[in-house]
Amino acid sequence: MDRLTALAFESYHLGLRTTRRFLRVPANWISILFFPLIQLLAFSQLYKDIVQLPGFGGETSYLAYLAPGQVAFTALMAVSWSGYGLLIEYRTGYLDKLRAYPISRWAILGGEMVPLFFQAAFMAGILLAVSLLLGAGMASGVGGFILIMFLSGGFGVAFAGASFIPALLTKSEQATGTISLLLFPLVFLSTAFVPKALMPGWMQVVNDWNPVTYLIEAIRFLMSTGFDWAVVSKAVVSLAILGAVLQAVTFWAFRRLAG
Amino acid sequence: MLGSRAVPAIETDGLTKVYGGDTKALDGITFRVDGGELFGLLGPNGAGKTTAIRILSTLLRPTAGSARVLGLDVVADPRQVRLRLGLALQTPALDAFSTGRETLELAGRMHGMKMLDIRRRTDELLELMGLSKVATKLTGTYSGGMKRRLDLASALVHCPDLLILDEPTEGLDPQSRSTLWEELERINAAGTTMLLTTHYMEEADRLCSRLAIIDSGSIVVEGGPEELKHAIGADTVVLQLDGGGPGADGGDPVEHVRDLLDGMVPRDDVVAHPAGVSLSVPNAGGAVPDLLRRLEVNGLRVTGLQVRQPSLDDVFLKHTGRSIREESADQPILLGW
Repeated sequence: MDRLTALAFESYHLGLRTTRRFLRVPANWISILFFPLIQLLAFSQLYKDIVQLPGFGGETSYLAYLAPGQVAFTALMAVSWSGYGLLIEYRTGYLDKLRAYPISRWAILGGEMVPLFFQAAFMAGILLAVSLLLGAGMASGVGGFILIMFLSGGFGVAFAGASFIPALLTKSEQATGTISLLLFPLVFLSTAFVPKALMPGWMQVVNDWNPVTYLIEAIRFLMSTGFDWAVVSKAVVSLAILGAVLQAVTFWAFRRLAG
Repeated sequence: MLGSRAVPAIETDGLTKVYGGDTKALDGITFRVDGGELFGLLGPNGAGKTTAIRILSTLLRPTAGSARVLGLDVVADPRQVRLRLGLALQTPALDAFSTGRETLELAGRMHGMKMLDIRRRTDELLELMGLSKVATKLTGTYSGGMKRRLDLASALVHCPDLLILDEPTEGLDPQSRSTLWEELERINAAGTTMLLTTHYMEEADRLCSRLAIIDSGSIVVEGGPEELKHAIGADTVVLQLDGGGPGADGGDPVEHVRDLLDGMVPRDDVVAHPAGVSLSVPNAGGAVPDLLRRLEVNGLRVTGLQVRQPSLDDVFLKHTGRSIREESADQPILLGW
């Protein structure tokens, strides 16, 4: 086996383990889906008439406007504590056990990261399905649904660094949890709840630099209008930049810890 | 399983580890373990045992000196060392959300074994460790003893040439401990070379064919348990005296016994003991009747007598001036990467 095949093989088997760890704790599902679901259900009722404001571009259902942001929020929730697993393994000595196996160090990180794609994709898919049941539309059909899951999974892996970096650098659960919490406003400072036109000036600037916005806009376009390369590729590029930055730091921090 | 006995299983030369510039965890230890041995590193907490283990298992780089495992340099050739090494660390490192079987299968996968071999070996080890019944339960539900045995099994899946165990029975109740001892002896008898650390003298005494006593990062003395105890050269005789000692004149019982036994036992070999007075006497079995007669004739009544052969604790005491049981609070919190 060449090194790359070996890395894939090792990551796959370690990934199966982290996936089991995820699936066997029902609390994981609940903690990820609870807030996006509550926001979807409550806000779509509470602010039902907000769509009458100019700027919503003729959208008649606030639920339909709200759903894309909550799908993205679900993907974010799915990975916001992702660094915890590695941290606990560091503390219990399990990481040492893995380090003493004749495998690549990167397979250890791969085994943590790769499953996050599927976790984020499937959790976002569940929220998307619920949105559709509640009456949101899916203009781009089944293909669009799958594409949204892919984008959400990609965002999950890209954004996971935001949890791994503090976990690897501070080795403290508290610090990791706090920083995850501080990143939630990324969703509020995007077009998740209201269109850009209704935001105060400073928020519009933040919004323009917020990668979550581009993910939300792509999902919204796929749901309400149809398929458009320009919108999707914008999202892909912004996720790629986010991922490149966060993962580069994560790799460095992991190497520092496990090298 | 180690084919050639010519290549030592472990060979270290002046192995040194300094943490954070000034904490010397290992101060140049040199020792050798041959194929088939069950070798022990015995020492109090904080003596440097875990640091030595971590270097030998490629988890930590030495500051100076060298270590070869199965003829391979741990710094230059870590991957080859890892392939042939089985390791169980001080706290059983298990994934709480994997079952016992999954744990062993993953260990096999990580060592590049074929699935057919993994299945066979997993069944074998689960049976051997008495875990067959709980093989499909999550390890998070296991008792301490079961976790230990599973962790040990996961270090054995790939039939390692050398098994390294850090404090294998730490935190176990006496029954689980003796069960594990038997298992370790069986594994060693089947041909696996073993290095273990312990701060339990009974454990080192019972299990190890040879051991090195380590204190403050240095090897104090090395040899077989019997050999080490013999080298002490004397048994311990504890005398319990009537009313705690000479009552009337209120003198120091130790001084009194020293005076009475002058010429029979060197004065320095008589020391105080919680139960009375302790003497260090070569071949106590033959000497005690004469000693008692001398004391009796001089009016000192001995109400109790205990004769003890030297233990490894006495060996440790002799070489370090301290008891191995004394706790110290000088361990580094994180043993580094």
